[in-house]
Amino acid sequence: MDFDIDDEQRNFAQHARDFFSEQAGPEHARTLLAAPGEAAPGRRVLAELGFSSLTIPEDFGGVGAELLNMALVAEQAGRQLAGPSLTTAARVAVLLADDADRLAAFSEGRLSLAVLDGPPSGSRPSMDVVGATHFLALDGDDLVIGEGRVTLGEPIDATRGLGYVELTSSEVVAQDAQARWARARQVACVILAAEGLGAADRAVEIGLEYAKTRETFGRQIGAYQAVKHRLVDDWVAVNQLRSLVWWAAWAADHAPDQLPIAASAAKAYCAGTFETACETLIHVLGGIGFTWEHDAHLYWRRAKVDRLLLGDESEHLAAVATCTLHAADAAATGELQPI
Amino acid sequence: MNFDDTPEQARLRAEVRQFLAAHHDELAHGDGAYLEEPGHERVDELRRTQAVLFDAGYMGLTWPEEYGGGGGTNAQQAVINEELHRARVAGPVGHVGLGMCGPTILRHGSEDQKQRYIRRLLRADDMWCQLFSEPGGGSDLAALRTKATRHDDGWHVQGQKVWTTLAQHCRFGILLARTNPEAARHRGLTMFVIDMEAPGVTVRPLRQMNGHHSFNEVFLDDVVIADSERLGDVDDGWRVALTTLMNERMAVGGGGGELGVRSDVLVSHANRLLPRLSEERRVLAVEALGRVLVESLAARYSGYRLQTTLEKGEHPGPESSAGKLTAVRVAHATADLGLRLLGEDAVLARSRDGDWRWASAAASTPGIALAGGTDEILRNIVGERVLGLPPDRPRTPAAATATPIAESR
Repeated sequence: MDFDIDDEQRNFAQHARDFFSEQAGPEHARTLLAAPGEAAPGRRVLAELGFSSLTIPEDFGGVGAELLNMALVAEQAGRQLAGPSLTTAARVAVLLADDADRLAAFSEGRLSLAVLDGPPSGSRPSMDVVGATHFLALDGDDLVIGEGRVTLGEPIDATRGLGYVELTSSEVVAQDAQARWARARQVACVILAAEGLGAADRAVEIGLEYAKTRETFGRQIGAYQAVKHRLVDDWVAVNQLRSLVWWAAWAADHAPDQLPIAASAAKAYCAGTFETACETLIHVLGGIGFTWEHDAHLYWRRAKVDRLLLGDESEHLAAVATCTLHAADAAATGELQPI
Repeated sequence: MNFDDTPEQARLRAEVRQFLAAHHDELAHGDGAYLEEPGHERVDELRRTQAVLFDAGYMGLTWPEEYGGGGGTNAQQAVINEELHRARVAGPVGHVGLGMCGPTILRHGSEDQKQRYIRRLLRADDMWCQLFSEPGGGSDLAALRTKATRHDDGWHVQGQKVWTTLAQHCRFGILLARTNPEAARHRGLTMFVIDMEAPGVTVRPLRQMNGHHSFNEVFLDDVVIADSERLGDVDDGWRVALTTLMNERMAVGGGGGELGVRSDVLVSHANRLLPRLSEERRVLAVEALGRVLVESLAARYSGYRLQTTLEKGEHPGPESSAGKLTAVRVAHATADLGLRLLGEDAVLARSRDGDWRWASAAASTPGIALAGGTDEILRNIVGERVLGLPPDRPRTPAAATATPIAESR
C-alpha cells in the first residue's frame, strides 16, 4: 500500500501553488462581483501552462497526465478561488476523447468551451459559460456541440461564470454518449471536490492564524475549547476530504469500477466540509469576518455555489448508498465481488 | 500511489485467506466490536482464536523475533489485518496488550521483562490491562493519586484504579503510580508491571449501561511490586505513559479501522430492510445510509494514508488522535442507522426477528467516545500539538507542572 503522492507530484503541486497565488486570489473574486467577466487567471493562461490540458493525451496536444495530477492542481486553484474551473477542462477531456481536432484546439486555447447541464434548448445554470464560445451538451443520447445564447444571472460567486444557455446551433460529436457523459460528470465531481478541498483548507488556515493572534479576556481565542474544537473538527474534515479526493482521482485511472462511488463520496463530503469550514471561519473572525472587505465571504460564496453544482449532497449520498447496496446484493448472490 | 499488492504481499494474502478458511471452526467471528458481553466463555473462545492466529504467525508480525514477534513489516501486518476483517474474524481479545502494554514494554522494559512477557502476551496466554484512570483523574491523568512507596522488598502500592478494561480476565497490567508527591504533577510518576494475582489486588467488575462488564474497578491495598518490574526510570512514568497513549490512539481507530459494527453489516441489514419501508421513508433511509458510508470511507482512506506513513517507518504522531475522533462518529452513526432501519421494532432490545446487535451497539458507543481519550481531549491534542493553537488551561503549563500534587486540591 502506498496511499500518498510522490515527490514529483509534491513539487508539481508546489509549482501550481506559487502560480495561483500570483495569478489569482480572493481579491480577483471580489473585483469580479462588481465588474463581471472571466475569472483570473482565465482560460488562455490555464491553456498556455498546460493546466487545462493535463488529462488530454499528448497525441492530442495535451500533457497526458493522470487525473490525480489535475486534482493536485485543482486543489491549489481552489485555494485562490481561481477560474475558469479545471472541472470544465477535465470534463471536456473525457467528452471529446475521440475528437482529435477539437481537443487540440482546446489544448492550445483556440477553442473556449463550457459544458451544459440540462437540455440544450435551455440549460440549467452551467459553469464557465462566461467567455465560452462553444458549448457541449447531451441531447437525448447524443453528445452535441454548438454556439449558444447566454443569459447571465446575478452571481453569488462570480468566479464560477454561471449562466443559462440556449444552443443556437448543434452538431453531433458522438452518438450513444450516455456512458461517456456519466463518466465525464464523475471526473468533474472529483475535480470540483479538489477545488473545494483547496478552498476549505485555506479557510481553516485563515481561521487558525486569526485564533492564534486575536485576544479576548486576556487570552488568545484559540485557547478556548469552543473555538479550538470547531477549528479542529474542520481541519480533520479537510484531511478526510483529501483522502477521498486522492482516492477518487486515483480510481479514475486505475480502478474505474470504484470511480462512481469514490467521485460521489468526494463530492458529497466536500459539500458539507467546505461550507462548514467557511461558516466557522466567519464566526471565528467575528465582526471583521462579516465585512465585504474581508476574504471570508468570498470563500463562503464559493462554498454555497459549489455544493449545488454537479449534483447536491443528497444526490451524491444516495448514489453512494445505491451503488454500495447493489454491489453488496450482487456479491451476496455471487454475481460480483464486493468493492 | 498504489493499492496493489507486491507479489510477496499477494502470496501472503492468498496464504492467509486459505488459512482462515481452513481453520474457520477454530476461530471466533463477529459483526463488530463491543457487541457481546465479554464473559468467561466468550473470552476463552477469543483467546483460543488469538492463539491460533499467533501460532500461524499472524499476531505481532512487526514485533521483534527474539520475543516471539514476526520481525516483519507494517505492510505485511496490514495485509493480514485486511484478511482477518474480510473473513469476519473477531478482533483480538488481547487488544489492550497488543495495542498499549506490549509496545510500552518493548520500548521501556528490561530484557528480562521482554523475554518473559511478550510472547505470552501476543498469544493471549496472558491477558494484559492498563491501570491508568482513577476515580479522581481520567482525562487529567497526571492528577492520579495511587501511591507507590519504596521499601526493602520493593514498591508498596496503595490506591484505586477504574475503567480498567477486562481486568477480571487479566494476569498482568501496566500501572502508573505516584512515587514522588513532592515533585511536579507530571514528574513524580513511575510505571510498573503489576501481577493481577498478587495479594492486595481486588478486581470488581462494573456493570455498564449496555449491561456488559468490560470495565472494572481495581483496588490496590499494599500490593508489593519488585523494583525489577519497574518500566523506565523512577519518576519518569509520564514519558512512558505517553508511549502507551500514543499507541492507544493508533490502536483505537487511528488506522481507519472500525470501532463499532462493520459497515458491510449495516449494508446487508439495509438491503434486507429497505424493501419493507414506504417510498418516502426509503428515500430518507438511503440518504442516511449514504452519509454513514461516506463518513466510513473517509475514515478508511485516511487510515490508509496513516498506514502508508507507518509503512515508511514513521511513528504514530498526534495526528492519529484525529482517526479515533472520526471512528467514534462512524460507530455512533452506524449503530443509530441500524436501529432506525428496524423502525418501531427498535423500541425493544431484541427485534421480532431476534436482531439484538443494533441496540447493543447503540448502548456501547457512548463508552467508545470516552475510552482512549475523550473526544474533547483528542481535539485538544490535535488543536495544540498539530495545529499549534494555544493550550486550554486555567493556569499556564509551566505553573501546572510546577505544582506538586501534594499541594494541589
